[in-house]
Amino acid sequence: MFLVYLWNYIRGYVIITVTGRNIERFINICSRRNILLWEIIRINQDSAQMKASIRGFKHMRPAARKSRCKVRISKRCGLPFKFSRFRRRKGFKLGVIIFSVLILLSMSIIWDIEITGSDPELNSKIMTVLHENSIGRGSLKMNIDAKKIASEISLGVDEIAWVGVEVKGVKLYITFKDRVSTPTVIDSDQLYNIVANRDGLITRLEVYAGNALVKEGDTVKKGQVLVSGTMQSQNPDNGTREVHALGKIIARTWYQCSLPVSSVYTQRFKTGNTHKVSYLRFLDCKIKLPSNPLTFSLYDTEVEDKIITGPFGIKLPIGLTVEISSEIMEKQVDLTDEEAVDVAVEMAREDLRKIIPRESTIIDEVVKEIEGENGTIYVQVVIECEEDIAKLEPVNDE
Amino acid sequence: MKKGIHRIKSKAGRKKEQGEGVAEKLARLFEIPAEICGNRPKVTAIGRGEVLIENFKGIMDFQDGMIRINTNNGVIKVSGSDLSIREITNEEIIIGGKISNIDYDA
Repeated sequence: MFLVYLWNYIRGYVIITVTGRNIERFINICSRRNILLWEIIRINQDSAQMKASIRGFKHMRPAARKSRCKVRISKRCGLPFKFSRFRRRKGFKLGVIIFSVLILLSMSIIWDIEITGSDPELNSKIMTVLHENSIGRGSLKMNIDAKKIASEISLGVDEIAWVGVEVKGVKLYITFKDRVSTPTVIDSDQLYNIVANRDGLITRLEVYAGNALVKEGDTVKKGQVLVSGTMQSQNPDNGTREVHALGKIIARTWYQCSLPVSSVYTQRFKTGNTHKVSYLRFLDCKIKLPSNPLTFSLYDTEVEDKIITGPFGIKLPIGLTVEISSEIMEKQVDLTDEEAVDVAVEMAREDLRKIIPRESTIIDEVVKEIEGENGTIYVQVVIECEEDIAKLEPVNDE
Repeated sequence: MKKGIHRIKSKAGRKKEQGEGVAEKLARLFEIPAEICGNRPKVTAIGRGEVLIENFKGIMDFQDGMIRINTNNGVIKVSGSDLSIREITNEEIIIGGKISNIDYDA
């Protein structure tokens, strides 16, 4: 019953009052002409109230004339009458259209990309592959071919053994399994020597295979053979055996850098003038908001993402990205001797930091001032490290 | 010959008025539900509040306490109080309200 009522409500109906002598005749004609009437109530001797559909009401005129009844609408019910109120409001219609278009659009784009896998380091690689194929947050769902992306990713990222791409709702799910890298095969039949990677003083020797030619406390030069793969038998008659030398040679190494001390130093400082460029960010798209052109010759740019957090800690995909460029001025500053030395030492350290391999541990640091020719003072920074200097080198048997 | 045909026809017509035509006889013979063939009214009363009449010709009288419906088998009178026609279409009529009588030929 409720469904019937709902259907009638959606279609729209009118409650009419029929007055006349011959209401029965009116009802008969209506029913014969397939005009549906329902809930007919007799009010008094010459009037009755009933409901009729809108279409039925429009076809009622001949029936009313034949039966000499007067038909009056007492109430209009249903959605069509509710909507007819909006028929003339253009803005409302436009709003409804815009709203539905927005809803459709928002349903047809990717809002989020979720990458699950065993190695989170590969996520960025996958993201670059996606970026190359111009797939990101905000790209249209219908442009996404899951199979193509999967093959593209497995081609682009070597470490991936299997990848699954799935679009669920407005989310793009990427699942991958990384490949276990093949271990490097050490061919024990091959003759290998261990040579020094760089100059140093040996502090510790760990030889797993081979014949150690040096001992702790020895100074070695770069390229010197430390562990030989040729094993000499104790009995010279038995000859030699060739092995693949293996081991760790921990040695102290020194790195040095000398720089002239200059009493003039170009100092950079911010003038305090800033230039702001704002971008409206929607998913991965950025729209630049109008701003003045950048006039600074030297500047430092900081990028700040302003994230709008919605209820329950949901990060909304809409936000502002602000790029603040602050102007920088260079100025020549005269330094005192001490300050000049400090600056030179700092610069030397900076240089050394680039040379020293990451695995080595820094043990000691020595700073020396040397007077060179023409009265220029040099600063020498020596850093003492401890590192593994072993390097495998194949021996070509001629 | 002509007379004979005429007689059969008229007889059949009279029988129909009485309530049993050839179609109905056939229907009974083959155990087909009677309401499928022929146009005899089918009156279904559900509880006391609803009467459904199928195969009706038209309503003759519609009052608050009484509704008379014309059918092929004569007039059916439904009486009671607060009667209303719930729905009316070409083939069926649903009468609602508190029903006390369903009378034939009244």
